[in-house]
Amino acid sequence: MIVRTAATGLLLVTAVVIQTALFPALGLGGFRPNLLLLVVLGVALRDGALPGLRVGFAAGLLTDLLTTQAPVGLAVLVLTGIGYTVGVARPYLAPGSVTAPLLLAFVSGLLGTAGYGVLSALLGESRVTFQLLVQASLGVAVFNTLLAPVVLGLVRRLSDRFPIESSTALS
Amino acid sequence: MYQRRKARVLLVVLIITALVLITVDFRSGGGDGPLDRLRGAVTAVARPIQDGIATLVRPLGDAVGGVTDIFSVRADNERLRVRLETLEQRTRSALDLERENSELRQLLEIRDRAELVTVGARTVALGASDFEWTITIDAGTDAGIERGMPVINGDGLVGRVVQATPNASRVLLTIDPTFFAAVRTSTTGETGTIQGRGGEPLVFAVTDPAAELEVGQELVTSAYSNGQYPEGIPIGTIADVGESTTALTRDVTVRPFVDFTRLHEVLVIIDAPIQPLPPFRDSDDLDVRVPDVEPFVDIDDLQRQVEEEAEAEREADEETDAEVEGEGSPEDDP
Repeated sequence: MIVRTAATGLLLVTAVVIQTALFPALGLGGFRPNLLLLVVLGVALRDGALPGLRVGFAAGLLTDLLTTQAPVGLAVLVLTGIGYTVGVARPYLAPGSVTAPLLLAFVSGLLGTAGYGVLSALLGESRVTFQLLVQASLGVAVFNTLLAPVVLGLVRRLSDRFPIESSTALS
Repeated sequence: MYQRRKARVLLVVLIITALVLITVDFRSGGGDGPLDRLRGAVTAVARPIQDGIATLVRPLGDAVGGVTDIFSVRADNERLRVRLETLEQRTRSALDLERENSELRQLLEIRDRAELVTVGARTVALGASDFEWTITIDAGTDAGIERGMPVINGDGLVGRVVQATPNASRVLLTIDPTFFAAVRTSTTGETGTIQGRGGEPLVFAVTDPAAELEVGQELVTSAYSNGQYPEGIPIGTIADVGESTTALTRDVTVRPFVDFTRLHEVLVIIDAPIQPLPPFRDSDDLDVRVPDVEPFVDIDDLQRQVEEEAEAEREADEETDAEVEGEGSPEDDP
């Protein structure tokens, strides 16, 4: 369990470093993928709601601590919600489906970004316009869909290598 | 079933935790709360890693940027050619203006504007949010950087420091929707504020909506709004001037000089002294006479005193006149 937690933590830190230091150089049209959201999606899809919640909380906290204008807790709310929802929906998805994860990557990117934008406009200092909200949500959704096979594959491999003990296996 | 219930309980706990975090951060606004300190610690810890990654991928990013720029090279070339001609014409008149300026300065004995004291820094990362335009730079309070300091590069204003840790700082970029700065047009001096809107262009809210604005006019920072930014830092050129939609607003967009997609090296202005006004010349020699009046004098007493003095003076005059008449009468009488 400790090894798995450490591995997941390392994955999250790597994701956030790549997102803040690497993607700014490669971003197109001013937008970039949301790797942390993809990692949360991958864990929730592979292992279920409980690990999805935990990883969502950690990823959200990391995002919040690396932003300045929005209050800490907004990304926690969004990513925890996504981790739980995807984890709960997992039993209803076909196990070997290729389209379902891609569709989920698009929808989670769209709703997660839009949700964060709306919350930061309501609770933070950010002056997010409707146009910006739509552009950013679509940009992240498309980028995340393109990157989903790689990231979800990595998460799956990590989870196979460090499986959750049977006592904590999920719903 | 048990796991599902456990997940629900954990979901509620985590949502409550998130709401508590939001409340704590909201109430401790101002950049000094416990969560702000935690943010500073995360920034400081992440900085070396981000720095290493940024150094490694910068050539790759420049190459990608170069490929995407191919499509705009022709248009840029044409635009720059026109701009070069304009600038060449302007240089000729600028030389004359420079001479005139120098003479006027000598006449007015105005000291030259103080040199800005700056600290150089490299960009190591961008913010993690999609609705926040910030960068992390590799210099902090150890180099004298503090919150609120303006950040520039060779092209113009980049933003301002919103968080400073010992080895890193976060900079809010000019294009962020929460960024405001007082500006003026460099030629006509029309003032207003510039605001980001999450990408280019910026929006110029001109103080006087009826002001004459032209496409291509340059905007520079103005020190009139509490002097947050030093005077004269270039911002950009007016890209489009809209009609006044109401009597109070006008849509003016501005294309910034700074290329925010390739911010590598920046300068933080750590000291832009607002020089105190020199004392009036020969002020020490000024002889100002202050009337010797006791405070809180009753006006009635003062009036009575004046009347008494006038009465006494009149009596003294009458006595003098009488003495003069007494002395003169024997001479008149032969």
